[in-house]
Parts: sequence; structure tokens; C-alpha cells
Amino acid sequence: MTFLLDGFQTALQLHNLFFAFLGVLIGTAVGVLPGIGPMSGVALLIPVTASMTSGFEPAQAATSSIILLAGVYYGAMYGGSTTSILLNTPGESSSVVTALDGYQMAKQGRAGSALAIAAIGSFAAGIVSLIALVLLAEPLSNVALKFGPAEYFSLMILGLAAVSGLAGNSMTKAWMMTVFGLLLSTIGLDSVSGVERFTYNISFLYGGLEFLTVAVGLFALGEVFKAILHKEQNNDRIAKIGRIIPAKEELKESAGPIARGSLLGFLVGILPGAGATLASFFSYMLEKKISKHPEKFGKGTIAGVAAPESANNAASGGAMIPLLTLGIPGSGTTAILMGALMMYNVQPGPLLFDEHPDVAWGLIASMFIGNVMLLILNMPLVKIFAKIIETPPKYLLPLIIAISIFGVYAVQVTTFDIFLLLGFGVLGYLLATNDFPLAPLVLGLVLGPMIENNMRRALTASNGDFFVFIEKPISFVLLIAAILWIAIPFLMKLKGKSVIVNEDM
Amino acid sequence: MNKTFDRIATLTFLAIGVLFMIGSLRISKSAYGSVVGPNVFPFLLGLILVLLSVKLLFETMRYRSTHGEKQRLQYKKFWTIFISSIFYAILLEPIGYVITTFLFLIIGFQTMEKGSIWKSIIIAACFSLGVYGLYVKMLQGTLPSWPIWLR
Repeated sequence: MTFLLDGFQTALQLHNLFFAFLGVLIGTAVGVLPGIGPMSGVALLIPVTASMTSGFEPAQAATSSIILLAGVYYGAMYGGSTTSILLNTPGESSSVVTALDGYQMAKQGRAGSALAIAAIGSFAAGIVSLIALVLLAEPLSNVALKFGPAEYFSLMILGLAAVSGLAGNSMTKAWMMTVFGLLLSTIGLDSVSGVERFTYNISFLYGGLEFLTVAVGLFALGEVFKAILHKEQNNDRIAKIGRIIPAKEELKESAGPIARGSLLGFLVGILPGAGATLASFFSYMLEKKISKHPEKFGKGTIAGVAAPESANNAASGGAMIPLLTLGIPGSGTTAILMGALMMYNVQPGPLLFDEHPDVAWGLIASMFIGNVMLLILNMPLVKIFAKIIETPPKYLLPLIIAISIFGVYAVQVTTFDIFLLLGFGVLGYLLATNDFPLAPLVLGLVLGPMIENNMRRALTASNGDFFVFIEKPISFVLLIAAILWIAIPFLMKLKGKSVIVNEDM
Repeated sequence: MNKTFDRIATLTFLAIGVLFMIGSLRISKSAYGSVVGPNVFPFLLGLILVLLSVKLLFETMRYRSTHGEKQRLQYKKFWTIFISSIFYAILLEPIGYVITTFLFLIIGFQTMEKGSIWKSIIIAACFSLGVYGLYVKMLQGTLPSWPIWLR
């Protein structure tokens, strides 16, 4: 508890309050704008925060940046509901289900209460998942501290298996992306022996491919290129918002769905690979199943908004647990957050709570504050945010390219990285439009060096005997879990059942 | 799904896997008393990538291409913006951040949609000068400044 109080002390510092506010504000805007998801939003803001915090001490800079970036992440979950409800076009994939009932409510003139319930549900879910995060963080990181290199290797393989098993339509493609990401991570000087690998004497490559450049290119530029090539006409009229304060019976009606959505979302969020999208989908199905009036779903019932919106927010809180305690990101967005932390030499994982308690607890405390800010921001300001939807892409898209180029140049100070950025932008567009999921690639790139180092340490200790991964009991169990994670959806597909996959995390 | 793209991508990834395997054979095997040198991990990964590519190649033979309605892609807009961003990168250091960014944004805005030239000029000027002022003057970051003949 004292740690949490210290965390609040960190988070309540004036500049950190400002960063949290900026983060949730930008996050909401990112969620509202169709075309920019949480992943590209966070990637795009890494260099911006890096330049904003450049005057700070290293640890402080890390805390402030991660507070802002996490704010963007859960702020986007709030904002995503706005477009789903008002326009029937979800701003990001985790709000797809919200559109089913939300848009119907808006058509009936109840957009205001739908938006309010979405905000309240998101808030409640955010708090629930944070309390669970506080309770679970210490015990989990204590368990993970007992892990040796072999266990770590297997744990990371499990993380990769989980994400690759659930991403996209073709598991082969997802695995190819994972391996490709791992391969890209081997470029540069080998951290163990100092030997150069795949650099071909290009001095820019000695440090390896910069994670930032790759992530911004793949996600931010990839999406911009897609938006330019596939011009979408958006002539839908925006629904009127009307009264914002929900009626008493609507609040009463949605209390249950919010509570169930929060818990379910949190549990789904902890699992690597199953992100906010799946959480919102599951909770909607659950509500429909246990409801006394299942026929009302899809026609504008408030439970159909409350449950998925709570679930996707709770999932984003739950996803922080494996990231902070184990150092294993469970989704594309958390992989980007992890990359950002590593840019500041802060290694997420069990040691994080010992080595950088201010970063870990400051972040957790700031998420409490950020959620309160979001609630305050979203209730009265929802009409203003709805206006953001009307930002013409004519100005938005070139500006995103300019921001990406500025960001990469500001951090790297070489034009080589701008070319790399543009190249990865095209690659990201091509791969994503052809069903090659990008999240596993980024995950592989982030986890690559850690997997390799742990593998080599384990093998060095065992004199090159690969059986060491099976002989250690924990490592064995983790590997079996990884195999099951891949095998079960595969077997279900063979049986002819359709498997729900995460299209986009 | 697009069969042609999948085939090309598969062959590309196959080639990448093979190249990484060959490349890793050329890495020196010095491992300082350890059996596992810096070449093992990339070699294994290259091998896995090759195997996965072969698997996908077989999969692409099985499924039928599901051609939906072909959307007309805006190639002209894309190439204009992409090529101007390449020029943006090339010219960034020689003629400075403000000028290149301003020009890139004007071209970008006008390519997306012709018209309201004054609004474009104002937004582009605000962004390029604003970023430069904030980042270089206030935060003391480095960006290529004005070209020599203007200073």
C-alpha cells in the first residue's frame, strides 16, 4: 500500500498530471478519429513524448512518457465508443460491438445516454481492473522472480504462441510475421559477443533496426497509406446527442452489465493474445445469453452498450498485468508500450517493481487519475469530441505523415531512418491488407533480443543441451501450454467449428 | 484474399529465410566458452521461416481466391504523396525543416483534394513553423535549420 501512496505522490506531481491529462485527451481524440487506432496513436506519440521529456532526468522522463502513452491507450478505448454510437463507424475494432446497440439508441434519440453509459461503464471497469492490478502485481512479480533463463524463454514462447494463435485469419501467416519480427531483431551488434550480424558494413544498422521507426512505419504510415488508397466516402449524418444525463432506470439497468463486463474484460485482458476486441465481443454475447429479453439486443438496449464498453476498458487494464509483472506484452499496443519503456532503459518485468518502483507505481496511480479525468472530460465535452469526427482527411493524412517523419528524425537524427520509415509504411500497408497481421511482427521485434539472450544463457548453462527447456518443470508446463494454445484452435477448426479471431489488436 | 500477393509474399519470405540462413553461416562462431554462438538463433529462425513459407505456399494452392468487388485504388494520389515524402526526406537536411515541411504539406493537402489554397497555406505554415519553434527554440532539440543562403 505504501508503494501505491508513493505512486500517487509521483503521479500527482504537476507535470505528471499534465502528461496524464494530455495523454487521455489525445487518446480520446485518437479513439474518435476513424483510421487511427490505439496502436498507431501510441506509436506516433512515442517520439513526441521523447522530445517533450528530453530535459528531464532519465527515470523521470520514463515515468512521464509512459504515463502519457498509457493515457493514450485507455483514452482511445473511451473515445472509440463515440463514433460507434454516433456514426455507426467504430473508431477502433474493440468498439465494433458497441455500434450494434449504440447506433440504434442514437437513432431513437438516446445518443446522449448511450455515450454517458459508455463513459460510466468505462470508468467503473477501469477502476475495477486497476484494483485487481494493484492486488496481483506484487505476488505475480514475486513468482516471476524465481524464473531462470529457461523458464523465461518458455514463458516468452507462450506469449508469442498466444498472440500468433489468435491474430488474423491464417495462423501460418501470423507465425511467419512473428518469425520475421524475431529475425529483424537479430540485425545489428550481438549483445552477448559484440559480433556484427547482417549489417553489411552499413553503419546505421549497427544499433539494429530502431523499434520506433518500425512501429511508426508499420502502423501509423501503413494506415495513412491505406486511407489514401482506399478513399472512403463518409456521408453518414452524425446523430444528435441530446440529453447527456442518463435516466435512473437506465443506470439501474446497466449496473449489472457493467459489473459483469468489467470482470470478464479484465480476465480476458490478462490472457496474452486475447485483447479488448475479444473482451467486448464475449461480454456482449454473455449479456445476450443471460438477459431476460434477448430479443431487445441489436435494437437499442442500454446493456448492449454498457457491457462491451466496460469490457474493452477493463481488458486494457488487464493487459497491463503481464506487461508490468512478467515483461510479456499480450497485444500489439502493449508491445509498443514495452518498446517505449525499453527506449528509456526501463525493462518491464518482475524487477520493474524493485528497480523502478516510481515508474511502475506512478503509472498505476496515474491510471486511476486518468480514468477520473476521462469521466470528467467525456461527460460534458462529448459534444466537442464528436466534432473531431468531422476533421477532413484532406488535412489529417498529410499531417500524420509529417508528424511521423518529424518524430523519427527528432529521435534518430538521420535521414536513413526516414527512408526506413517510408519503407515499413509500404510494407505495413501491403501486409495488413493481405491478411498478414502486424501485431505479431512487432511483438517478435520487441521480444527477440530477450528470447535469444535467455535461450543462450539457458543453453550455456546446460552445455548446449536443448532438453533443458523440458527438464525444468515450470518451463515444461509453459511450453505445453504454448503447444495447447496453438493446437486447440487448430483442432476446433478441423472439427468445423468457427474460431473467433482477433482481427486487430 | 489475394492469391497472387500471397504467392509473391511467400516466395519473398522464403528468400528472406534462406538469405538469413546463409548470412548466419558467415557470422563468426566465437562464443567465448559457450557452445551457442551468435549464429545459432538467426539460423534456426531462418529455417523456421523457410518451413512456414513452404507451408503457406501449399495453403495458397488449396484455397480459391475470393475476389470481392475490386475497389478502385487511388494510385495517383498515393504515388504523388509517397514520392513527395521521399523528396522531403532527401531535401530535409540540405534546405532545412521549415521549408521542406511547408512544401510537403501543401503538396499533400492539394493532392488529397484540390482547392482552398489559402487554408492549406495557413495550416502548413502553422504546423511547420509551430513544430520548429516549439521543438528547437523551446525544447532545444535539433532539426535542420534554414538553408545557408537564407541565414
